[in-house]
Amino acid sequence: MELTRSAPSGSASSVAVETVAERGYRGIPIGLERGSGSRKLLARMIRVMFPHDGLSDAPYIRAAEAVLALACEKPGRQVAFAAAIQDLMNEGFEAMDDDAALAHLRKMSAADFFTQVQGKALLAFYDDPEVWEHLGYEGPSFDKGGYVNRGFDDLDWLPDPRIDEYDGGEQ
Amino acid sequence: MKRIALDEPAVVIIGSGAGGGTLAHELTRQGIECVVLEAGPYLKNEDYENDEWKAFNQMAWLDPRTTSGSWRIARDFPSLPAWLVKAVGGTTTHWSGATPRFKEHEFKALSTYGHVEGANLLDWPLTLAEMEPFYERAEMAMGSTHRQGRPALPANNNYKVFANGAERIGYKRYATGPYATNAAPYDGRPASIQDGFNFQGDKSGAKWSIMVREIPRALETGLLDLRPDSHVVRITHDASGKADAVIYADKDGNLHRQSARIVCVAGNSIETPRLLLLSDSARFPNGLANGSDQVGRNYMRHLTGSVYARFDKPVRMYRGETMAGLIADESRHDPSRGFVGGFYMETISLGPAFLAAFVEPGAWGPDFARIMSSYANTAGMWIVGEDMPQADNRITLSTTVRDHLDLPVANVHFDDHDNDVAMREYGYGKAAELYDAVGAIGHHRTPPYPSTHNLGTCRMSDRPEDGVCDRNGRAHEVANLFISDGSQMTTGAAANPTLTIVALAMRQADHLAGELKRGNL
Repeated sequence: MELTRSAPSGSASSVAVETVAERGYRGIPIGLERGSGSRKLLARMIRVMFPHDGLSDAPYIRAAEAVLALACEKPGRQVAFAAAIQDLMNEGFEAMDDDAALAHLRKMSAADFFTQVQGKALLAFYDDPEVWEHLGYEGPSFDKGGYVNRGFDDLDWLPDPRIDEYDGGEQ
Repeated sequence: MKRIALDEPAVVIIGSGAGGGTLAHELTRQGIECVVLEAGPYLKNEDYENDEWKAFNQMAWLDPRTTSGSWRIARDFPSLPAWLVKAVGGTTTHWSGATPRFKEHEFKALSTYGHVEGANLLDWPLTLAEMEPFYERAEMAMGSTHRQGRPALPANNNYKVFANGAERIGYKRYATGPYATNAAPYDGRPASIQDGFNFQGDKSGAKWSIMVREIPRALETGLLDLRPDSHVVRITHDASGKADAVIYADKDGNLHRQSARIVCVAGNSIETPRLLLLSDSARFPNGLANGSDQVGRNYMRHLTGSVYARFDKPVRMYRGETMAGLIADESRHDPSRGFVGGFYMETISLGPAFLAAFVEPGAWGPDFARIMSSYANTAGMWIVGEDMPQADNRITLSTTVRDHLDLPVANVHFDDHDNDVAMREYGYGKAAELYDAVGAIGHHRTPPYPSTHNLGTCRMSDRPEDGVCDRNGRAHEVANLFISDGSQMTTGAAANPTLTIVALAMRQADHLAGELKRGNL
């Protein structure tokens, strides 16, 4: 995971990531620039990694941008990512159906390129408020008064349990 | 705020967490001036973020560390062996709040468990009876629920699943605490608003931490000189072998020397031994107070493991107090289960950002996405139990990586003991049984997170050759050097350690104050 290879230097929140991505990969004419198709290919790759039915392409695109920002931090990484993405294009990855795409990724899952994409995309994708909403997570709560009056105890399919300690003596 | 001159030999406390912060509060309240050197910034409630990665990047100790050994952390998080806080208040900033006491037999691990192959067990030079008055004081300070008449927190959704499951498989000792977050207003702080962000620093102030209680009260005495952004790099000693000063770097890397008459080290169980190892000299060639070669050894990190269970109905585990649910039935010592020592089960919840990173590190694909898709219908528990001290589980100075000051970073070496593995497997099984009893449709066994309970490494012992400090935390070899954090724990017990760290610091403060008044220090 990316977080393990170097201490995170800034927030992994999608907003910050997106800003970095915009600055980072524009105008680098080696295959990662806008119009190269790299963002779209990575977004497809990330959807195969983290498939969630009913979710729009937008968070996958944002995660792809985070991956591109990571790729463009170092020239060596930039070249390696461009080459790996070109391979995927040559192999027709985007046209593969879900099963074939999954099998293809499994074959390459030991590659450094794959683990870097997986690590960075996971951090960005599941830190995206649109994904949170899709999963049913409500995000920051303090400004809304917490959940004390908003359902912290609204589970109704089990009986209300005892909250005090057992008074039946020691073990 | 009090300013103590650099050339004034002061009581110097290194670290402002559960140990150092408690000590500073207790000493200043008894009229003793202190300097507290805290490596991190002074963050307050309003600074904390309701966002997992933002909060992590704001407060976690992110200085590099290295790892080795067979534990899975060395593979998945090689530069993040521990999840600790670098800020005023230390790791009490992000702790969740569970406050069980250690049990009588846990202070006598060697006598109770007998010889365990490969384990370096020892009895504490302290007993539960000696600790009880300090536990009482610590619970009062921290506002533990269920204690001294304080009310229980209400059942949140995650607890409802947990407690019903417990009842159905025959457990009896479950409750929403003891837990150091206010169920009702207490000690000038409000009741919980159940916002669910304990691990990110609690914005509301309902949760006890050193930052909300001990630091402001110590400052109010006018006797505390609190210096944030002050990273200690060496403790020096005089010709007689007594500690005489502490050298620290400010945030710009400039070095300062604070003269000291007493030095108390409370940097958590990785940085405390690292600092002693960095403070080597001709007199202490293996590191300060390390003639026994015990500094850094017997690193413990509690058993830990989590189980996340999926249901076909909503749970919304993230709403409410994260760890306000404990089961103590398995905390007994009962070798018929296949291991010595015991463990607690405690509710836990992560947001999607952390769950994705930690539920199964490195995982991806449809099975992983299914875990995440079930987020709203997921309940979670943490298994926390006693792990075996081992001589080679150890903090050493890295031979390859240096920090921003060009000092060797800590290497954390850890191998699971067979007893740890057996207890974890048993715990996973019981957790699954509990959730199945309330209709789980699937569960996932999550491996240990980067360590939050870091213990041992400068342990207490009666005999100098068995440890680093005595029953008061005083270094066997350096008369005015004290270990004031969880590093001094002889063995780790099953309980979450913060209450015991606070109680030990209170006890040490009484000892120090007495010795100072008697002119012995």
